Amino acid sequence: MSIDVLRAIQSLLPDVEIVQSDAPADESYSGAYNEAPRIAAAQCIEGQRLRAHRITGEPEVRFAGFLDGIQRARIACHRNGIPIVDGTVAAVVRVRVNRRFVTWGHRTPIVSRRLYMPLTLLKCEGQTETGGFEIVDTSHDAATGELVSRHPAALRAVAFERVGRDRDEAERKLAELWCADGSEPLFIDGGISGSGRVAAASCAVGVVKSHQTLFADGDALDVVMSLKRGERSSVFALSARQRSPVISWYLRLRDPRGHDAMFGLVRIEVSPTEDVAERANEVSRWVLGEVTPLSLPDGRWDRMAYGIRDCEQFLRAIA
Amino acid sequence: MSEILGRVVATERKPNTPHEFHFWTALDSPVGIGTIVRVDGRRPVEGQIPHIYGIVTEGFSYTDLLTPMHDVLGHDGAPGSAGFASAERSEIRLYSAAVLRQIPEEPLQPVPMGDVFLAQEEDVNIALRMDGYLRDGGHTGIPIGVYRAGGTDATIFLDADFLVGPEAAHLNITGVSGLATKTSAVEWILASLFTHFPESRGSIAAVCFNVKGPDLCFLDLPGKLDDGDRALYDKMGVPARPFQNVQYYAPYSARGFSLNTLRSNETLAHNVTPLTWGLREVLQYAEVLLNRDDIDAKADALIDFITRSVIDQTFTDPMLARPHVVQSFADLEDWFRDVLRGLENGNKESWRTHHVATIRKVRNRLSNISVRCAGLVTDSGPVSDLPFGEFEDRATYVVDVANLEEDAQDLIFARIVSKLREHLERRDLGVKHVVVFVDELNKYAPGDGPDTYVRKMLLDIAERGRYLGLVLFSAQQFRSQVHRRVVGNSGTSVFGRMDADELSAPGYAVLSPATRTKLATLEKGQLMIRHPHFTQPIFVRFPRPAVMAGRLGAEQYPQGGEVSLEAAVYRALRARDSSITLQAVEDAIGLHDEGDVLRALAVTLKERPADVLGTFRARLPKRITQSVQQRPQVAALRGAPNDDPYGA
Repeated sequence: MSIDVLRAIQSLLPDVEIVQSDAPADESYSGAYNEAPRIAAAQCIEGQRLRAHRITGEPEVRFAGFLDGIQRARIACHRNGIPIVDGTVAAVVRVRVNRRFVTWGHRTPIVSRRLYMPLTLLKCEGQTETGGFEIVDTSHDAATGELVSRHPAALRAVAFERVGRDRDEAERKLAELWCADGSEPLFIDGGISGSGRVAAASCAVGVVKSHQTLFADGDALDVVMSLKRGERSSVFALSARQRSPVISWYLRLRDPRGHDAMFGLVRIEVSPTEDVAERANEVSRWVLGEVTPLSLPDGRWDRMAYGIRDCEQFLRAIA
Repeated sequence: MSEILGRVVATERKPNTPHEFHFWTALDSPVGIGTIVRVDGRRPVEGQIPHIYGIVTEGFSYTDLLTPMHDVLGHDGAPGSAGFASAERSEIRLYSAAVLRQIPEEPLQPVPMGDVFLAQEEDVNIALRMDGYLRDGGHTGIPIGVYRAGGTDATIFLDADFLVGPEAAHLNITGVSGLATKTSAVEWILASLFTHFPESRGSIAAVCFNVKGPDLCFLDLPGKLDDGDRALYDKMGVPARPFQNVQYYAPYSARGFSLNTLRSNETLAHNVTPLTWGLREVLQYAEVLLNRDDIDAKADALIDFITRSVIDQTFTDPMLARPHVVQSFADLEDWFRDVLRGLENGNKESWRTHHVATIRKVRNRLSNISVRCAGLVTDSGPVSDLPFGEFEDRATYVVDVANLEEDAQDLIFARIVSKLREHLERRDLGVKHVVVFVDELNKYAPGDGPDTYVRKMLLDIAERGRYLGLVLFSAQQFRSQVHRRVVGNSGTSVFGRMDADELSAPGYAVLSPATRTKLATLEKGQLMIRHPHFTQPIFVRFPRPAVMAGRLGAEQYPQGGEVSLEAAVYRALRARDSSITLQAVEDAIGLHDEGDVLRALAVTLKERPADVLGTFRARLPKRITQSVQQRPQVAALRGAPNDDPYGA
């Protein structure tokens, strides 16, 4: 842990207990991973019911850029069990030049390091900065506005979630910049419905690798689970409160035989359009064009595009 | 300032040290093995930003693949489909560099993190510590080649004080045969040395032993150069021309009147001088020609006695039939016969403490020398030798021993080097420094095998020559098989393309695997240099020598065939006086025998008279006019009867 961070915290809270655990930072603590697995119904807009469609045509390499972010969060110290979390988020767009990835337009990637702490419980209300580090107050639940439980695990969960939200925010900023700048297709790791501007941009393609929520029930779920390599599901519409409407479909990138049912399965989100079938086929061809090189040794290699892995590797190197 | 080329990196597994560091570069950077780089540190040390100069010794490249199997899986086992992948894997060019120099030099610390730059010409000078001897007023740099990397084109200089002495000296060249390394390199280095050797350090000449083929036989003739070579000559300030002052020396062939050299074409005879020695010259180095069994203490004592008390003086002894003045092998043989006859007549077993068996043994060995070294050692003729005492500055003296027997080669080498040493000790050679070039050290100074006189001589030059100005430039194919003290005393070592087997010898373990691989694949015109000022070997390019290649010279100037006695004399005399005709020489020779003619020729050439032909005639012995004796008339025998059946 950085000595600068400790000094910053101790200048504010001299009596904190430093956590010297070698436990790795939690890099995956974000909303999607914290949701309980669930099945949600979705409105099919390509035909009457969800079915499998063979993608016609050869895979195409069309994505000009890849956007991803990372987060690191760890409990730096605590006072009487109240955790103070050292959180770092970063996001970058890597563009493909001569088949190699470089940072988009030589823009500085977004990297920020903040301290997440319940100021109310620590009796430091109003503090916004210490030792050059911005402080994020985690005293209240972001959704309900209620004071968070004093339980250390609950406090930690809130802090980690705020780190995740900051990461989403960083990614959203970059995606909006891209969409404002140009029209070349951008491969975004995750959904795009969090930003109205991105969700409406035809150049943004969100590729969701995790399936805590499956937008198919009943027979439709059977169709999704039995998709073969190079097949997609019918397109369905997604709209939710505080989310922008997008259209989505499932696509199987790799042969699932011998693997679990989610192997090589991604869900794609794009902005609503009229000819959804044509758009789904077109974007599916683009996504299938990214199946090589493999993203091994990453454990999610069956669903992860190499460009996204490159973003993660890049961010881990600099953040 | 040049662009940033790379960045220093260090990990716990691969840390930087004061002597080595690691850096990565872009994939298309012009870095390779042997590239010199500069690291600019970020934090000052004692108020000074550290600058570290290094040379790349190893390179690594890898991708983020954990196992090759992942690539196979990614392309469904079809290599051809790899080209259609949407992207190329992240790839790294990681280099290890050996530190050449750190500034400030103290405190000596591990190389810090920092930016890496391609070394510019001034950086190269600092990195190789050349700034110490290239300064105005104290320039002792001898260009050895050009270092090239990226856009940098820097001349690499050797320090004359460390090449010729007195600080260090000697140069050793290693490389496989046939790739224009050893001979070409030494010709180039000599040309550079003659051009740039500082006046303040005195005069210099070279004695080159041509030990094989026509390698050094055409140093005074222009060779073929291309524009690239000329550019290198210009860059290094060396005139692209052959050697201006070359003298060739070669013994006669066994018959004694044509020179035993590949440079025997009549058109090139003007600077070829016979090399012939007599009894005195040879006896001083009899040890060279006598093997260990021959030279026991008794034989050595007798030879010493002959050298001291018999040669070149009137020797008398009551036992001998007459006084002897021994000046030639023929005289010596007469003396031996007289001594042995005296012993036999007196029925004695020893004479002057020398046993008869020892006398016979020494007689056999010494008498045999003129046969074993025929052409070099004259039985009774005068001496023709290198111009000891009159060596000229920037002159090259080539002694062609390529076609000689091993004994004769050894004798020539031992005597010439000894004479050079004697004259340098007395400071009367004519020049202050002499470079002696000897190829095939594997043969003359092997690491194992008998301790020959020649090897002892080479060791002596290598260990003590620098104090005298006697400098050894040596070459061989297998450095590892040369005596350690000979190569170890060479301040400067030059390596051309090397044989992989040779590179596996322990002596090369100090080089990184990549450097060894580069040495094994060096192209023509590239050398690796080690010099006392350079803390790491440096790769340079050098131009083709501006002299005619031996093979080409042998084709253009074919060897003169064995000529008649008259023609040989005519050629030799005409080199001194072009008005002499063959007919005049034939008339002068007349019916004189071969030995008389050769003696007269040798004396004439040695005297260098104004009237060459007249002197030659005068040196021929006077002959009594022959008269034809009439056979006396004898009365015929009576004829046989006609019916005699046995009659003719």
